[in-house]
Amino acid sequence: MKNAVRALRMRQNLAQGQLAEAMGVSRQTINSIENERYTPSLPLALALARYFGVTVEEMFYDQGS
Amino acid sequence: MTKDRNRGITHSKWFLPSFSFVLGLVILAVAWLGGHPGEGAYGLAGLTAFGLFFLLAGRSETIRGLRGDGRDERFAQIDLRATAITGLALLVALIVAWLVAIARGQSGRPYDWLLAIGGLAYLLAVAWFRWRG
Repeated sequence: MKNAVRALRMRQNLAQGQLAEAMGVSRQTINSIENERYTPSLPLALALARYFGVTVEEMFYDQGS
Repeated sequence: MTKDRNRGITHSKWFLPSFSFVLGLVILAVAWLGGHPGEGAYGLAGLTAFGLFFLLAGRSETIRGLRGDGRDERFAQIDLRATAITGLALLVALIVAWLVAIARGQSGRPYDWLLAIGGLAYLLAVAWFRWRG
């Protein structure tokens, strides 16, 4: 699943480790999400969306949308 | 945030080292009862060394995940898949061992019992999660 996590993180000048700390997950988990190797759980997706002030649909989207 | 929800004793860096040490003590006690404490001492030493390795091995994601303090939802998923593969490997090994024992004219014990326990545990787990979910 495609996502805008990296773009939103870069926009706020955040390191992966900082975002990971804020979300309570490992830096590798953030890296895997950004590289589309891991699809986060709904609670983590909601937490990420809230953190960046966007909707889940704006943050995560499939190929067609 | 997501990690805090799952916090518990298994998410401490001391979990795996402590478990290894306690298992080593149990092996020592059982070996002592069986009349061969030397083997038990080897077991305790090996498991203590194993636990110390993980305690002091650093901060790599794999080490921290296996140790307990680096577990998050992604590692939990990795752990679940690895456990399933482990179970599958054991199941295949038991079936092969059981068939070989039968082909040799043996009774098939204890493989048949172990297979029955595995099958029953699987069915009960399916029923439980179906009921819960």
